[in-house]
Amino acid sequence: MSDERHIDGNGVGGLLAEVLGVDPTTVRRRCGGCGDVRALAEHRAYAGAAMVLRCPSCEDVGVRIGTLGGEIAVDWRGTFFVQRQLV
Amino acid sequence: MERLGVRGPIPWRTATVREVVPETSHARTLVLDVPGWPGHRAGQHLDVRLTAEDGYQASRSYSIASAPELDAVEITVEEVADGEVSPYLVEDVQAGDAFEVRGPIGGHFTWSVDERGPLLLIAGGSGLAPLMAMLRHRAARGSMVEAHLLVSARSEDNLLYRAELPTLQPAEGLHIHVTYTRSTPAGWDGFSGRVDADMLRAVAPPPAAMPRCFVCGPTPFVEHVANLLVDAGYPPGDIRAERFGPTGG
Repeated sequence: MSDERHIDGNGVGGLLAEVLGVDPTTVRRRCGGCGDVRALAEHRAYAGAAMVLRCPSCEDVGVRIGTLGGEIAVDWRGTFFVQRQLV
Repeated sequence: MERLGVRGPIPWRTATVREVVPETSHARTLVLDVPGWPGHRAGQHLDVRLTAEDGYQASRSYSIASAPELDAVEITVEEVADGEVSPYLVEDVQAGDAFEVRGPIGGHFTWSVDERGPLLLIAGGSGLAPLMAMLRHRAARGSMVEAHLLVSARSEDNLLYRAELPTLQPAEGLHIHVTYTRSTPAGWDGFSGRVDADMLRAVAPPPAAMPRCFVCGPTPFVEHVANLLVDAGYPPGDIRAERFGPTGG
């Protein structure tokens, strides 16, 4: 999917911070599809009914952010794990 | 151990427009006073949220164009035709007006003079804003770290910070190049046309110099330039990209 409709995961940092409580853009995510580990900021963000973050390596759906019953919900399907540097 | 969640969500804060600076016929810089602003790093962005009288809200992300050292937060907004937010920010908002901002956001596309150089900054259109923050930061700190900027603009009238670019300090180690993709000024002997491999070779430190590469612009521009850089042998891990999409505004 080498189309030009996406922005970077960086652009949804504020939205994700609503849920996670911290700016997650430097959090690294290991893709459940290809196993690559990339920062959320590097993911491809597609805006639709939900915001979808796709792996920049294999373009699998990694994270979905949407509203559910008036709340913001994050679905981490397609993610083995996330990791973040200790501070 | 890190205590996740202690900071809480990044709060919305009231930003008051201190000054409006025209940049081009369809872009301007808003100088904002944001009480409680925690400071930012060059390259980060913020979200702007507008609330209509009926409660309808729209938010957009804008790169911060000012140096962290400045006592204000500046964003440069280019009007997107039929956009929801940018027409208001470019045409209507005046000094004294207020709206909400949330930030700073993003720890990936950032640079500080305390980190290594050299810098290779490549901007398409208003993608210059966060790279300008890096160069203004370099200036504020009097850093002579080697920095190479290549800006792609449609024409001279579309080039942001046109007056400031040639005056950036320290001049030592700073190399600024512009390419015009639609029309060139009379007597122009610089680059024209879209960024290509030859242009990169002419302006960029070689891969062996291991420059930190920052590319910002519309998604097609960033994809194109990032591919050129990888093809030229720059390690993907040294290339940071910030895309803004064709939709929204």
